[in-house]
Amino acid sequence: MTEARFDRSAVEAFLIHEAALLDDREFEQWRDLFDEDGYYWVPLRPDQKSPEGESSLFYDDRKVMQTRIERLRHPRIHSQTPPHRTCHLIGNVAITEMDAAKSECTVRSSLMMADYRLRVQRNFAAKVTHRLRVVGDTFKIVWKRVDLINCDDAFELIAVPF
Amino acid sequence: MNAINPAELRALIRPDRVHRSLYTDPAIFTLEMKNLFGRAWVYVGHDSLVPKPGDYLASRIGSEPVLLSRHTDGKVYVIYNRCSHRGAAVCNEERGNVKLFRCPYHGWTFAANGDLDAVSMRRGYGPDFDLNDPALNMGRVPRMEVYRGFVFASLSAEGPSLAEFLGHARESLDEIVDRAPDGELDLSGGVHKYVFRGNWKLQLENVVDMYHVPFSHESTISRSGRQFGRRPGEESASAISDKGAAADRWEQRVAWGAAQYGHSYAGHQPVAEGLPDDPVFKEYVAALEARHGKARTEEILVPRRHNTAFFPNMTLQALNYHVRVIIPLAVDRTEIHVYPVQFKGAPAAMNAGFVRHMNVTHSAASFIQTDDLECFRRCQEGIATQGSDWVWFARGTDTDREDEHGDFINKGTVETQQRAQHAAWLHFMSQPA
Repeated sequence: MTEARFDRSAVEAFLIHEAALLDDREFEQWRDLFDEDGYYWVPLRPDQKSPEGESSLFYDDRKVMQTRIERLRHPRIHSQTPPHRTCHLIGNVAITEMDAAKSECTVRSSLMMADYRLRVQRNFAAKVTHRLRVVGDTFKIVWKRVDLINCDDAFELIAVPF
Repeated sequence: MNAINPAELRALIRPDRVHRSLYTDPAIFTLEMKNLFGRAWVYVGHDSLVPKPGDYLASRIGSEPVLLSRHTDGKVYVIYNRCSHRGAAVCNEERGNVKLFRCPYHGWTFAANGDLDAVSMRRGYGPDFDLNDPALNMGRVPRMEVYRGFVFASLSAEGPSLAEFLGHARESLDEIVDRAPDGELDLSGGVHKYVFRGNWKLQLENVVDMYHVPFSHESTISRSGRQFGRRPGEESASAISDKGAAADRWEQRVAWGAAQYGHSYAGHQPVAEGLPDDPVFKEYVAALEARHGKARTEEILVPRRHNTAFFPNMTLQALNYHVRVIIPLAVDRTEIHVYPVQFKGAPAAMNAGFVRHMNVTHSAASFIQTDDLECFRRCQEGIATQGSDWVWFARGTDTDREDEHGDFINKGTVETQQRAQHAAWLHFMSQPA
């Protein structure tokens, strides 16, 4: 596990670890990266101010994540038979804000994610913002926001988080 | 394209099945755009999406791109998204607000109702060039009507009135709008969009199909046999099973299909009858009672209709309240827009809960919709094969009966609704020009 320090390489190692969990479909471990009050948000509109009161592609707190993961593990989830394979690529990682008092920082990165299923490969690109909190010797995700460049597009079904 | 004559069309629809070419034949799709989407009343949008003068929403009537706009007179209009001069699409954005529509090509400008405002460099036209010629306006569609905020339009100047077309399906609109304490809906809480490689009718048939639920959506049902909570505060929801008491109760819900024009609904789930018992809901009930009184409020809150499918392109759900718009792109490609419904005058927390739950049930990454999308894709793949010429809708043919209005009524997991859709399909498709 990453040693949680507020420097770029530690943060980047954490994001790489997160990407690997998603690519390996270790969804329960991915969920556990989020703090108890953490949430994962993918807006449907550029510059969307808030997940409250407006639709989002994903807006999962830990409880919704749990239901999502149970479904992903269900033997008769038709939309994942066969499953999507994914490749998350993280880059351009930068710490944009630090709050030493709260032991929190905001991290901006760029994401390219390809998914593949049944002879169709898609490519997603996004600006990603993580709010990270140092808890013990590791980071926890307070929130993660994924701004897809095509967030207001019409999508075929999506199963694996970005 | 070779014309498809009415006798050929009639041969495609039997009482218990339809021919696979309805889903796969590009010539039939082209004819649908002309005879069906070109004649029926088609849902275009909701007036809450264009609240202010100059607001517009890009929409479609079949394959025709149109704009729903609000003019300075406060009324909404449906106009073709086409400059009257050389034909360029005037608006690129899905929604926006303009003082005037301005064509990018030569700068002609139009009012929000489509009327020509000005041509650029006027002197280049002779004195006989009549700027008041209606042919210089962005064209308005032949007919449009607004019913309680829902805007419908028809590309045909002839045909039934909207009230006649909607028939008793209209009560589904009344039921949902009456649940808003202010008597108006707000659809401006964003839009979920998805696309699938399948024919548009697969989605229309699916929303009123109560037979597929325990199978298509098995992955949403826990070991205890209940679906995940689908309303704010709910830990778990409906007991869903193809066996036992849950299946028996499921069979009690109403199945209804209009005798004419193809609308249909599935009665409310025999599960979500219990009204929430929380402060927010009590505040909501109080707001309804302030407007309607206690007795009428109780009546308003009785769940009756779960999903209503307005033929040919709009559906309404009264569990996770939403309006769904079906946009046929090609014979094997369809786009869907899903708008969460909020009730004007209801507590903000309640409306926020509606919007939030729609992310879980009907986004392109949701728990419910994704398995439907997968089934639509597989239907298209299978129907395209030569394995059989027919797609079956026989369930309940022996138990269909007429209600007091002459519409079709049945119970439970029948395919009465889809048969009504196919009958209307044939009606519009085979009408002489």
